[in-house]
Amino acid sequence: MIFINKKQLSKIYPIWLGLPAGLVYTIFFIVPIVTALFYSFTDWNMDRFDSPKFVGMRNIMNLFQDEVFLRSVWNTVLFAFSTTILKTVVGLLLALLVVQKFRGNSIFRTLFYLPCVLSCMIVGLLFTGILKQDGLINNFLLALGREDLVRDWLGSYGTAMFWIIIIEVWMWAGFTMFLFISGLQAIPREYYESAQIDGASSWMQFRKITLPLLAPSFTVVVTFNITGGLKVFDLVYSLTGGGPGFDTQVLSTYTYRAFGMGLLGKSSASALILSVFIVAVTFALNKFLRSKEVDV
Amino acid sequence: MKMNRKRVGKIFTIIILLAISCIYIIPILMMVLGSFKTQGEALHMDLGLPEHLQFGNYQHVIETGGILRGYTNSLIITVAAVAIIIIFGSMTGIVISRRGDRKGRGLYYYFVFGLTATMQIVTTYALILKMNLYGTYISVILVLAAINLPFAVITFSSYVKGIPREIDEAAIMDGCTAFQLIFQVLLPIMKPITITNLIIAAIGIWNNFQVPLYLMSSSERTTIPMMIFNFYGLYSRDWNYVFAALVITVLPVVILYLCLQKYIVEGMTAGAVKG
Repeated sequence: MIFINKKQLSKIYPIWLGLPAGLVYTIFFIVPIVTALFYSFTDWNMDRFDSPKFVGMRNIMNLFQDEVFLRSVWNTVLFAFSTTILKTVVGLLLALLVVQKFRGNSIFRTLFYLPCVLSCMIVGLLFTGILKQDGLINNFLLALGREDLVRDWLGSYGTAMFWIIIIEVWMWAGFTMFLFISGLQAIPREYYESAQIDGASSWMQFRKITLPLLAPSFTVVVTFNITGGLKVFDLVYSLTGGGPGFDTQVLSTYTYRAFGMGLLGKSSASALILSVFIVAVTFALNKFLRSKEVDV
Repeated sequence: MKMNRKRVGKIFTIIILLAISCIYIIPILMMVLGSFKTQGEALHMDLGLPEHLQFGNYQHVIETGGILRGYTNSLIITVAAVAIIIIFGSMTGIVISRRGDRKGRGLYYYFVFGLTATMQIVTTYALILKMNLYGTYISVILVLAAINLPFAVITFSSYVKGIPREIDEAAIMDGCTAFQLIFQVLLPIMKPITITNLIIAAIGIWNNFQVPLYLMSSSERTTIPMMIFNFYGLYSRDWNYVFAALVITVLPVVILYLCLQKYIVEGMTAGAVKG
């Protein structure tokens, strides 16, 4: 078999076979990114769709002076970090529980993973029914005789943000659970056996064997959840629409709001800031977590 | 004594798990029960059983909600986009990996960029508007395909590295063309990664809300999550109908999930690890 010279290679695997994918990807993914780099620095709106005016840094300066925007940045960060921490803790806990051998443990896995395949829109509407003024939670509180606790859960900032975070964790903890399960199953049994012979307690085994050896899983879980969390849109949009007022606005919903008002330049600037933010956080996190992996 | 302690621990585990399960079951139970209630019963959210099963809710939703329409739309968009992703993605992935020259590597890194970059939805909207494609199936199909292509290309490309070149050589000796080699010889061997890509793309696209919202929000051709959202806007006082609509939307996905669970879980997990 001798045909691996360059000419024949190009003949058997012509580069134009990559053209269809390259074209779709270039036109509908790359072109919008490149144009966003330009349009973010222009005064561009629906009335002036074809003649954007270059304004330099003005969109970005305006954004950072806009209180609602700053609030959205804060909410996005709060959401991304708190959901990541909660999903990691809850996911690890669930994984440790269902990884034990007993009959029927696969039923629990199936159930905890179920929300992951649903649309955020559906989950959002479902929980609107649970959290609204005459919803399930308030009815439950009334039945317990705790009228003092009854409130419109999505109607004020603190509780609304709290519930958005909880619902996101409800949806995706099962996913994190599976990432940890595959990590746990990769740890050799012998480590635990010899630790038991040495008389190490369960807690010691967990700290000295399980946690360090799970480091690669942690990297995946944290990076995946942070990037996902920074992009959040559907859940906020369907639960509160960014309200009450602009209290629970996140960057993606802020972008959509500016878009809805026809302010395309401002909207692309806000979307661009989010992208830059995501790339920066991903790189920093990856670097940090990978260095941890080598240490152990 | 030792056995006993183990046993107690196991029972304790199961009790905790059952308690956690309630948090997952209650919302689903409320939805299913609510979908069979009258409007008055459903407005008072609880886990009480409906007086009489109101199958009429479902009939009403199917007749007026455009749910079936939404299904057809979602099916058209998902199938078309997934087909583009698998066919174009595998072609590109295989060529990139097998060539291994400068052109191939260049293309590879061009697609790697797409894994870290995020979609710019506003300029995408402007582009679609300019191309006169606003509100069409094709716009949503191509945009969703473009978002998913980088992952498909990269995963196909790294998977094909593990397949011996001798297979290609034998196929070429037998007179295979490039297309036959890719689709009749290599793609069947790459079944695991094809299934992974199929599942990640299909679930992501089926559930995607943002792209249809920007590109076809009130259109007749919009997808099921958008349809449900619009339906809720019209019927937000009639929770019996809202619940029925949610059940109709969720049911096929749940059935599919229960049947293909192994593949779905493995596929989505692999997606996170590689992505």
